[in-house]
Amino acid sequence: MKFILNTGRTVTQGRHVEHKYHQGYFEETSSCFIHPLDLMDLDLEDGEHVEVVSEWGSVVLRAVSCEDLRKGMIFVPLGPFANHIIPPRTHSTGMPDFKNITVELARTERERLTQWELMEKIGGKRYENQ
Amino acid sequence: MKINDVVCPFCGCLCDDLEITVEHNRIVAVDNGCTLANAKFMSKEQLASPIRRTGEGWENISYDEAIQYTVDMLLDADRPLLYGWSGTHGEAQCIGVHVSELVGGIIDSTTSVCHGPSILAIQEVGHPGCTLGRVKNRADVVIYWGCNPLEAHPRHMSRYTTYADGYFLQNAFRERKVIVVDVRETETARVADEFIRIKEGGDYAVLSALRAIVRGKGDVVPESVAGVSRSQLERIVTLCKDAKFGAIFFGLGLTMTRGKYKNVRNAIELVDELSRHTKFTITPMRGHWNVYGSNEVFTWMTGYPYAIDFCRGIAFYNPGETSAIDLLARKECDACLIIGSDPGAHFPRGCVEHLAEIPTVVIDPVPTMTTALADVQIPVAVSGIDADGTAYRMDGVPIRVRKVIEPTLPNDREVLKSIHAKMKEAKGQ
Repeated sequence: MKFILNTGRTVTQGRHVEHKYHQGYFEETSSCFIHPLDLMDLDLEDGEHVEVVSEWGSVVLRAVSCEDLRKGMIFVPLGPFANHIIPPRTHSTGMPDFKNITVELARTERERLTQWELMEKIGGKRYENQ
Repeated sequence: MKINDVVCPFCGCLCDDLEITVEHNRIVAVDNGCTLANAKFMSKEQLASPIRRTGEGWENISYDEAIQYTVDMLLDADRPLLYGWSGTHGEAQCIGVHVSELVGGIIDSTTSVCHGPSILAIQEVGHPGCTLGRVKNRADVVIYWGCNPLEAHPRHMSRYTTYADGYFLQNAFRERKVIVVDVRETETARVADEFIRIKEGGDYAVLSALRAIVRGKGDVVPESVAGVSRSQLERIVTLCKDAKFGAIFFGLGLTMTRGKYKNVRNAIELVDELSRHTKFTITPMRGHWNVYGSNEVFTWMTGYPYAIDFCRGIAFYNPGETSAIDLLARKECDACLIIGSDPGAHFPRGCVEHLAEIPTVVIDPVPTMTTALADVQIPVAVSGIDADGTAYRMDGVPIRVRKVIEPTLPNDREVLKSIHAKMKEAKGQ
């Protein structure tokens, strides 16, 4: 099913800005907020996993029921998960389309990667000497 | 020991009324702060020493080694990018400009992924702004457009708008009307007197419709514009025209959607129209605590607010070409110094991939997503906690951030000064 993806700040994401390797940051930024009726259409329960596919790639997120949204729109807090599928195109303005992107959603049994695994997938190395 | 009137170095509000309790050079309590301030002041995640990536993992290195690595990296590069700057103080930003000029590099701040388009619009049509103090004391209509202050700037409404007392308002809470325009019914929308829910990407059309109605050309506006009824738009215009003083605050809902700076230009031009009837102002909701400062410092040093390229030996500015996202997406830069920001978390993957391929140094107190992509990270004192310096609030008011505990690490300007001095030495200057 096609949806419009918006990304943005949440207070939980903001609270973890200096604690990015914490579980709380992972849970918040890998959440995909969806209208409850859309959850039903996708045959998803709150907390189950959903694959979000854009023209730039795909990422597995945790579906979270949210009535703040209009039907047909999803919201993902800004972070490495949302940015995994945001195209790096700026239309010559310097600013990518972080909002209002067309994506496809489908239920999945696959697990989410962690934020470090996403970085390692593109050649990064996790820092664990905490 | 209690320290009063501490400035919070988190968001562009720069709240200056925090009360910090310090015991044995550690912060043990934060009063008056929002949840974001508490998390920042109480954070104990600072790295203790610089780190370098090895084949297997990470090793601790000395400051001298880390600074020498950075100097060599920048001097060896043909097209270095120096990015971030919004999470550090103005004095460090000054040195950053000098370093960029010395290596003929590009300096860009997080502006390019937040209110860069707002600056492009302001360069086209000007900025009818004012201080937050004026809004607090005078505004009887406040519009939040494409922003969610309760989550991103949690004390904005209590210090400057909805819940703040106003010198020229008898009963500010009742007299002040708050209008929220958003695609989501956020917490902020729920406390507003009027919520306008627009369809995604409909900002430009709704702003144009409002301008037409203000001009007395409402008959050309269709029954519904981007999901908003004409009757609601007419009601809003009446509210605005009847206001004694109106203030629009706008966020990334305008700058990140299709149209980008044209959306912001339309919003500024709506303010222009409304100011023919009453007094109206407009202010971007700046995110990082000193992102406005980066624009001020870069402008008074180079003539341009962000995305400045020194490769020609003079300052050159062309967002879309010299901005960090475009440089990384084109895989053009061959080394990167990152300070006071986390592109690893906040840039699209297509840009972050290139960061992982080129030599990258991060100057940041805590491990971030960008740490994973870096070769070296240099931890520093946190501006506003164990380092002082100048910051600019979202309305352009400079505020000195204070040091509340004694530092155990060098601060940003000290590290950058060492880098700059060694580079000058290497170049025989």
